[in-house]
Amino acid sequence: MMAGWLTIAKWELLRSKLKFDVKSVIMLTLSLILVIIAAYAAAQTGMSMNQKIYLAAVSQADVQPIIDTDQRFDYVVVDRFAASTYYEYGADMGIIGRNVYLGDTRKAASAGDALENTFKTYRELTLTAYNDVNNSHPVWVTVHDLERPQNFQLAGAEETADSFSRGFNATTGLPEGVDSTGAEGGSSASIRTGSSTVSPEEIAALDEMEGKTFFEKQTLSTPTNFSPPVPFTAILYAFLFIFPIYFVSQFYSTSLMDERTNKKGELVLAAPLRGRDVIIGKTVPYLLITMAIQTGITFYIIGIPSTLAGLERVVLVLAAILPVVLLFFALSFYSAILSRSFKELTFASVFLSVVISGYLFFPAMFANIHAISSISPITLIVRLIEGEEVLMNTYLFSTLPFYFVALSTYAFGTFIFREEDLFTQKSISSKIVDCFEMFLSYPYGSVFLLSIIFIPFVYMAQLMLIVMLFNLPVPYSIIAMIILSAMAEEIVKSIGIYTLFKRKIAKLSLRNAVKYSVLSGAGFFVGEKAVAVLTLAPIASSAFGSVMTMGALLLIPLVLHTTTVLVSSLVMYKKGTRYYLASVVLATLVHSIYNIVILRGLFFD
Amino acid sequence: MTRHRVSAKKIQTIAKKEFKELMREKTFILAIIIQLFIASFSTFLVIGLTSFYDPSMLNNIEMEDTNIAVVGLESDEFYQILLQERNIRPYLYNDFQLAYTDFYERNVDAIIVTPAGTADGTGLLNVDIYLPKSEIKATVVSLQLKEPLERYEQSVRDVRTQRLPGYTPIEFNIIKRGIKATSTYFEFIYVALLPLLVFTPAFISGGLIVDFITEEYERKTMDMLLVTPASMLEIVSGKAMLATLIVPLQSFVWMLLLSMNRVEINNSFQILLTVTIVAFILVMASTIISVLFKDRGVAQLIYSLVLIFLFMSSYLFTNSPLNLVTRLSIESIGALESWTWIGIYMSVGIVLYTAMIMAVRHDPHNI
Repeated sequence: MMAGWLTIAKWELLRSKLKFDVKSVIMLTLSLILVIIAAYAAAQTGMSMNQKIYLAAVSQADVQPIIDTDQRFDYVVVDRFAASTYYEYGADMGIIGRNVYLGDTRKAASAGDALENTFKTYRELTLTAYNDVNNSHPVWVTVHDLERPQNFQLAGAEETADSFSRGFNATTGLPEGVDSTGAEGGSSASIRTGSSTVSPEEIAALDEMEGKTFFEKQTLSTPTNFSPPVPFTAILYAFLFIFPIYFVSQFYSTSLMDERTNKKGELVLAAPLRGRDVIIGKTVPYLLITMAIQTGITFYIIGIPSTLAGLERVVLVLAAILPVVLLFFALSFYSAILSRSFKELTFASVFLSVVISGYLFFPAMFANIHAISSISPITLIVRLIEGEEVLMNTYLFSTLPFYFVALSTYAFGTFIFREEDLFTQKSISSKIVDCFEMFLSYPYGSVFLLSIIFIPFVYMAQLMLIVMLFNLPVPYSIIAMIILSAMAEEIVKSIGIYTLFKRKIAKLSLRNAVKYSVLSGAGFFVGEKAVAVLTLAPIASSAFGSVMTMGALLLIPLVLHTTTVLVSSLVMYKKGTRYYLASVVLATLVHSIYNIVILRGLFFD
Repeated sequence: MTRHRVSAKKIQTIAKKEFKELMREKTFILAIIIQLFIASFSTFLVIGLTSFYDPSMLNNIEMEDTNIAVVGLESDEFYQILLQERNIRPYLYNDFQLAYTDFYERNVDAIIVTPAGTADGTGLLNVDIYLPKSEIKATVVSLQLKEPLERYEQSVRDVRTQRLPGYTPIEFNIIKRGIKATSTYFEFIYVALLPLLVFTPAFISGGLIVDFITEEYERKTMDMLLVTPASMLEIVSGKAMLATLIVPLQSFVWMLLLSMNRVEINNSFQILLTVTIVAFILVMASTIISVLFKDRGVAQLIYSLVLIFLFMSSYLFTNSPLNLVTRLSIESIGALESWTWIGIYMSVGIVLYTAMIMAVRHDPHNI
């Protein structure tokens, strides 16, 4: 049976080749060339669509060359009197003699701020024109990064910090011995002599600094160019790596959807192949193509490796991107099975891509700033590209949730990769319930395991909630966070029980309602603790973090998780499974009230 | 078969049918959630990043003082400048080793080694700054140090630029009126956020129409539709009409939401008109692509590439649709100029519309 998936894979490759006829290949190449040309041209500009947003009234000619350097400014040259009444014709400022008069609007105020920067940039430009760095750029700043033990406990939330002390000692890494400082620092005298040789003696070196590429870390600069380490590079990396994944997964899901709409898949399923073989066969070609593209991108960024160490770096970058690709594929696979039309599929895949990208981008922006950034694999890539070491536990910390979610999504999708789910117009919700039914009818499948499997999903959903709710004002955002994360937890705990009763796998009795609630609640508790110890330690100190890991006081959360799921299963027992939604809402309510009571300190401090 | 006249009524019927389907699948709600997500993500960026980049934004928030170890001499000019700084408490050390011990024990958050040399000298002056790695404090300290560093540079330059032949420093006096506004924040809202938000529905509609049309081909239902009294042009136009008309509705909601967040938007009618025209252009372009290529994956890919191309191109000239919306919203453009450009985009739309009709008429699938 080994060759089963291979046959499908070969067939898939052949078919996708057929899809690209000469016409589309020409069109694709053409548009790709256009994109490259336009992107190149755009990169030569300031990469901002801020042309002519401010208007200045200028009364003398000598300001013109300065303002001309900034595309944000539009200006009119007028006499001194007209310049003094600049506001009458909508100008934001009047420049008379050495004075700049601003209007009384917010726009005028920010125009003034912008003009200040323009002056600064112009000054640097003129000074650089002199070939005399000692007198034009006399001061240089060299930034060094120094390691010191990070201290999460200082940040607050003692009760969570306590229970995780075991967990995070492992992740912070042991403080380095003081003897390593000798090599780093030495005596102050040696620093002085050492540092003066670092400064560039030639103006050429300065030019190099100005044209510094996105991919270089800033360590040496003049005070004017000195900026805090906010890594926009990370966002750029994320874009470079994720765009191709997005496109390939579009083709992947289209191909799966094709099988369903044209019922070609029925033939495949009828052949002596298992659903699993079909899925693997259809996935592997796309996976290989994506990884090939990712390898190309890696080579583009860090160059083709010549040494063994260089090769290792490339492999590590690819190892960090693999779980991301898998997750994208798994979710497109699942949505291709659920969707009833291409429209639905497009929306589902766009939605999921946006969510995953958010998860990847948001923490990666803090690469080099905060430990929390390592929850995103993109941060790993940034570090690797910058030539830093990535420890095994950091790798596991950021990629494990991805692997888990991807693999379990594939598993659930495989359960319903069968005729009655693929080729009928079943509703999405009943297809989802089908997955759980299949899972629960396996000998090892139980609500206990199901709850554990869902933990990474809940974890990712809650992290996304932090981003989503960030812009609500503070007390509301925390309340919304509490309610929504409680809801996410209640849904995953009760969905298994709902499936059991709804599909009549278990009898709807009081005994069963209690039994399964205990199992499901305990499963969630065990999973939550495991995840908390493994991964949540770094963010346990923030207010949001403590909402996510509410259960610090060990036994109480076990009781809580069991009780709340019992609420929903009892409602189902009394009223029937039709009231599932209401039962979840009720359970959420109980859960939220408990959390708010525990967290009341945050509100009444 | 005689080619009958295109009937507006039939186009409307098709549009209504598509609208009902769109609503039934609840996909529209998903689209709204996507946009909501993008919006909240951007606001997250605004607050997060602009406050990083703009120390003046942080000035409103009471920033705690930072303890900094300065390795150098009492008479060092940079040390004197740091002493005057409000949020910095410099401590003088004469040995790096001692400073490092205090840094390691978190008594100070940064170490500065002052340059050996004075403004009167000739050599370069190098300031070494040691920051805690992977800590948010490093960013805060860099922000606090930027201004004193610039002041130090300025004072050295005051002496040294006199040696540069023919150099006169720019001395302008910007008279502020007490309104606190930074260009970074202002420009983020009006140059990035607002245009992106109002155009996102247009970008999505372009992708939507690809699905509308290729779906009919792939399900082989296009032939069935063609048996009905509606012509292919009417069917395609109906779908395109719906895809275009839902755009201004969504953009309007966005603008409403922004105004509720006290972002003042001028010329909203002209902005909505611009958005609708651009949506029409994108929808027409992707209709042509779908009719020509028929395969969903290929059509979506080409549409995305075209979209990226158009987006990149709009960096290149003033009054690109995104720039036009920015300038309209903050009243930086005259009526004559704005209406001229709206007219230009409208004619692009008409040209594409004609091209679409030709593409449909010459389609071999057409009866």
